[in-house]
Amino acid sequence: MAPMDQLAVARTRDAADATPDARREVIGAEGLGRRFGTVEALVDVTFTVRQGDFLAIMGPSGSGKTTLLNILSLLDAPTSGSCRLDGIETATLSEADRVVIRREKVGLVFQTFHLIPYLSAVENVMLAQHYHSIADRDEAFAALERVGMGHRADHLPSQLSGGEQQRVCIARALINAPALILADEPTGNLDADNEARVMDLLDSLRHEGRTIVLVTHNPELGARADSILRLQHGRAV
Amino acid sequence: MAAPESVVSSRPSRFSAARLRMAARLILRALTAQGSRIGVAVGAILVGAAVISALTSLYLDISRKMSEELRAYGPNMILTPHASEDEDVAVRGVDIATVQAALDVLPADRRLGSTPFLYGMVRLPQGTAVLVGANMQGLRAISPYWQVEGGWVTADFDERNAMVGRRLADSLGLELGDTVPLRADAGTAPAEVTIKGIVETGEAEDDQIFVNLSLAQRLLNRPGQADLAMASLVAQGPEADALAAEVMKQVPALDVRPIRKVSQNDGEVLDRIDGLMALVAGIILVITTLCVNATLTAMVAERTPQIGLQKAIGASNRSIVGQVLTETAVIALIAGTLGLALGFVLAQGLGQAVFHAWVGFRPVVVPLTLGLCLGAALLAAILPVRGAVRVVPAQVLRGD
Ligand SMILES: Nc1ncnc2c1ncn2[C@@H]1O[C@H](COP(=O)(O)OP(=O)(O)O)[C@@H](O)[C@H]1O
Ligand SMILES: [Mg+2]
Repeated sequence: MAPMDQLAVARTRDAADATPDARREVIGAEGLGRRFGTVEALVDVTFTVRQGDFLAIMGPSGSGKTTLLNILSLLDAPTSGSCRLDGIETATLSEADRVVIRREKVGLVFQTFHLIPYLSAVENVMLAQHYHSIADRDEAFAALERVGMGHRADHLPSQLSGGEQQRVCIARALINAPALILADEPTGNLDADNEARVMDLLDSLRHEGRTIVLVTHNPELGARADSILRLQHGRAV
Repeated sequence: MAAPESVVSSRPSRFSAARLRMAARLILRALTAQGSRIGVAVGAILVGAAVISALTSLYLDISRKMSEELRAYGPNMILTPHASEDEDVAVRGVDIATVQAALDVLPADRRLGSTPFLYGMVRLPQGTAVLVGANMQGLRAISPYWQVEGGWVTADFDERNAMVGRRLADSLGLELGDTVPLRADAGTAPAEVTIKGIVETGEAEDDQIFVNLSLAQRLLNRPGQADLAMASLVAQGPEADALAAEVMKQVPALDVRPIRKVSQNDGEVLDRIDGLMALVAGIILVITTLCVNATLTAMVAERTPQIGLQKAIGASNRSIVGQVLTETAVIALIAGTLGLALGFVLAQGLGQAVFHAWVGFRPVVVPLTLGLCLGAALLAAILPVRGAVRVVPAQVLRGD
């Protein structure tokens, strides 16, 4: 089925899926595996994330956290197992289809603050709108206000601190109202103050009912999550 | 902001104004951010465009200018009375009407000038000389290379002025402004002429005296007659042969011969220039393409993290390719336009140096040059674009 058709099916299903208790499944991972040559980066990982969940993925460096997140965000595909994202089976999608589903369903926040250096803060947010549907400066500005960056909307990334850049990244991840927000150690490169701000921001998003998957190896941050998926050598433990 | 539950809205049409605005903004920002690197690409294309457009302008003008130059060596068609064995051509002459009929056969747009000639001997107080009667305007048109001191006799009806060859003037002690009587042996009345110009060609003309055809006819008592005619044509090789044959067919009383040497050189030189131009243009295109390719490759390599990020936040390969190609096209068109301006100036310099003439503006040079720039730049972009398509976001975004 073409990805756009799958989107349509997912939408129809949403309407039927109105029972208050059974929250919608956003991620349904079953037996996920990812092999790089001889390296088994991920082995038989199974879990479910429902709408409004805040899941922390934890584990030592090299345990497969980023590999898992890349599969969830459709930047990568598993070599075994299956993965449903908001009702769409993604493991078998082509790269071009993964792009389409990613921009519709996923908002990404990275460890380093990846912004386009020649675009201002608000333009960086608008670019995500542009690829998703259509750039709207007012909406993009509102998203920056939401993360407390409205006053720096016209600054270039190089004029912003790391914490400020990461907040712009969060605004960009929010802008298209994705079903899922994925953050890979978003505070890994921040000082304590900025880490607290970013975490408070993620907390407030979660209280708005957003679905968040956070990779961290900071136990304090992990403790804020509803549930924790621990990885060791690519396996859930 | 929309609630997270809201379902994705259907995508608006690809070419809405807002989409184009954002795409244009992205490209503008990306280009200005590249700064010096873009400068190198613009410079390479600009120089290529300038040289190619200058050469093209020059080339389009060259056939005309070249044949004008070559025609400066003299007329390239001669018309003489048809020679049959039992007649003495030299004394027979030909009717001016016949000559005119023959010249009229030559298409006006191929004919730069023509004149009948009537020859005879005249006596001056200081000695004798060869008198040449000709239509002065036609004579001037077919003799652009004559060095004339003083001036040409400009009007065909001017019977008071004459031009004298340099050697004749020196040997008879004639000077500009002198008035001399001309007397022929035909028993006709003498005529007084003022020397208006002194001619120097290094050939027979240096010993001759030139007057209007009507005056020569009267002095030599050969009314309505000429000995031969010459024409200067914009025609080479086979075309000139065909014209000569056509004249002879229609006016059998005349023998018509192209003067080969000059006509053929015309064609050969132009052919050689053709090849040279194509070679130079080809080399320039190749160099420009290589240079732009190197720049674009570096540009894409430098922007790998950004391209990865763009893909991660939803850019399709198609939109990345579109961005790189559009940036390339913008560079090419800006550089091409600047190159056209520079090329026009360059063409003037070359035109002055080679032909002592301005080179005309040919509109066709604009699409030709811009097309070549665009073609070369997009060709140069093929490999860089493949590089951009191959960027894997998961690899470039690894934070650890
Ligand atoms: N593209 C790749 N090629 C080869 N090995 C990889 C690749 N990506 C990750 N790995 C390997 O997979 C394992 C898990 O990596 P990763 O998911 O980045 O760990 P984490 O994010 O938990 O630190 C590591 O051993 C790493 O070397
Ligand atoms: Mg990692």
